[in-house]
Amino acid sequence: MKRSLLLLFSILFTVICVNAQTEEVVLRPVTASYTVGSGSSHLADTYLSPINYNGWSTSLNYDRWQAMKFNPEAWVMNLSFGFDIDRVLNQSGNAVMWSAGVRASWGMLHRWNVAKGLKLGIGPAVNLDLGCLYLDRNSNNPVAAKAAFTVGASAYAAYNFRLRRLPVTLMWQPSLPVVGAFFSPDYGELYYEIYLGNHGGLAHCAWWGNYFNLDNLVSADFHFGATSLRAGYRGRILSSKVNHLVSNHFTHQFVIGLSGEWLSLNPRKVISPKAKRYNALFE
Amino acid sequence: MNRMKVSLRHIGIYLLALAGILSAAGCHEIEEQDNTILNNFDMLWKVMDEHYCFFEYKNIDWNEVKVKYRKQAAEARNAKQLFRIMSAMLDELKDGHVNLSAPFETSYYRAWWSDYPQNYNERLVQEKYLFYHYSQFGAAYYYLLSSNIGYLRIPSFEYSLGAGNIDNIFASFLVADALIIDIRDNGGGNMTNADNWISHFIGEEICAGYISHKTGPGHNEFSKPFEMKVKPVEKGHWLWGKPVVILTNRSTFSAANYFATVMKTLPNVTIVGATTGGGSGMPFSAELPCGWGVRFSACPVYAPDGTLTEFGVAPSPGCEVDMSPADEFAGKDTILDFAIRLLTTGSN
Repeated sequence: MKRSLLLLFSILFTVICVNAQTEEVVLRPVTASYTVGSGSSHLADTYLSPINYNGWSTSLNYDRWQAMKFNPEAWVMNLSFGFDIDRVLNQSGNAVMWSAGVRASWGMLHRWNVAKGLKLGIGPAVNLDLGCLYLDRNSNNPVAAKAAFTVGASAYAAYNFRLRRLPVTLMWQPSLPVVGAFFSPDYGELYYEIYLGNHGGLAHCAWWGNYFNLDNLVSADFHFGATSLRAGYRGRILSSKVNHLVSNHFTHQFVIGLSGEWLSLNPRKVISPKAKRYNALFE
Repeated sequence: MNRMKVSLRHIGIYLLALAGILSAAGCHEIEEQDNTILNNFDMLWKVMDEHYCFFEYKNIDWNEVKVKYRKQAAEARNAKQLFRIMSAMLDELKDGHVNLSAPFETSYYRAWWSDYPQNYNERLVQEKYLFYHYSQFGAAYYYLLSSNIGYLRIPSFEYSLGAGNIDNIFASFLVADALIIDIRDNGGGNMTNADNWISHFIGEEICAGYISHKTGPGHNEFSKPFEMKVKPVEKGHWLWGKPVVILTNRSTFSAANYFATVMKTLPNVTIVGATTGGGSGMPFSAELPCGWGVRFSACPVYAPDGTLTEFGVAPSPGCEVDMSPADEFAGKDTILDFAIRLLTTGSN
């Protein structure tokens, strides 16, 4: 028995060592972008007001793509953060509502090189959205807090081509939460009651019927050397209905910023000429 | 390659169609509201219909009210006329927490106090009883009366005092035999500020009442009442255990009404004066297409015994006192004198 176990371990050790020697060197550059967005916003939240509000919206966005270590050819990951501020007015222009929110998402997408220069990807993503609306004209209900944790689908289509001699990457990136949980007070519940300790019924299961959050980013990266210029459009539709309370937040933004690829390297190690590079988006 | 192009085009079309269908299905529409006279009227009526919390308690037929005032609204020729009609409609609720706010005016229902004697003359108290020598902390002021009774005036619960501030007030009454807290004309403020004061009069956690809220637009859709508790002030701070008399009048309203409700349940506390003005619905706000704001009672707050005090808190038995005009003319506060007599002799 003892001899058999020793034999098994030695075989396993040999296999691992041989694998390590034959494992190809893989380079997985990170594609990162930093953008600012600005555009229009439509806000309505019946907890605060029965009236629709319209105004402007701004955002700061960070987006990070990288091929995944376990199968860099077929899988990429996407991490994104955003911070949004909206200022909107009621239709008579005498009341201001503010909205502030942060969002984060992480997705793992399977990708296919479907044609020359064209990559498609789709996969699951987890999303966290936190924020609040503030309407200062209200007395005891000036704030509507927003929080949601959702799991959904994220996808992308990236097309690399040349505009005359300039390399360009066109990308469409939609994301859509499918299930999760989100926060909402009851129909006429004051936050004072929540503060007193009544925490029942605040979390709700989210699905498309009561929590719909579609985010679309269409962008073009113009590659001027190591750094690229990103310009595009971000549209977001967030609509929820629970406890007879409806909340809508629609934004259309023009986004502009910088993007690029970078690679973490150990200066003491020489990159093997046989190293294989897996780009997440660009070519 | 051609097949691939066709497939890609199809995929693109399907994805766009899917996005369109999902957007249409997932969005919950909030109707745009026309800024017309009748639509503003209807909107106000609807906001109140769906959110106001005392229709059943006050036995108000809101549909009948609509019929009565909509005809008048249809004949309104300008914003001020419409405002008057809407204000009159809101007055049917007989609620001091209901206001309509336009750029030129805010409506108030005043009959909850104007139909009653005022029962308070601040200047008289300051001059004849405190001799203008009172000490002041924020809005509150206090003085040790010649009968060795502390007099504490809390004109509002809008402003908070820390436990240390309240300690200092009580420290100045160290030798006093009893305390009079005057909350006449106190129109309310924050219930948490009232709780801060209450916490100095209790040795253990107490039930301060119950709060409920609407769970839907129906007149009877309410949540199960949630118990509100007040804890004693942290150790090391002053607790008042000697007799207390609270002076109230009809203008004691909202958070002050809550303060009187809770304090009345304590064994060493007597309420003297007139029935308070009530106001036991915590207000919510909404607005109309024309930009006018509306405030209304939305969340009923119940007394510890489960009753509503929307119409006020009655004085303790045998302690209902009105200020006599003759006394006032002679420089006497009938209610304050009654309280002093009660605390010094035990009789009224």
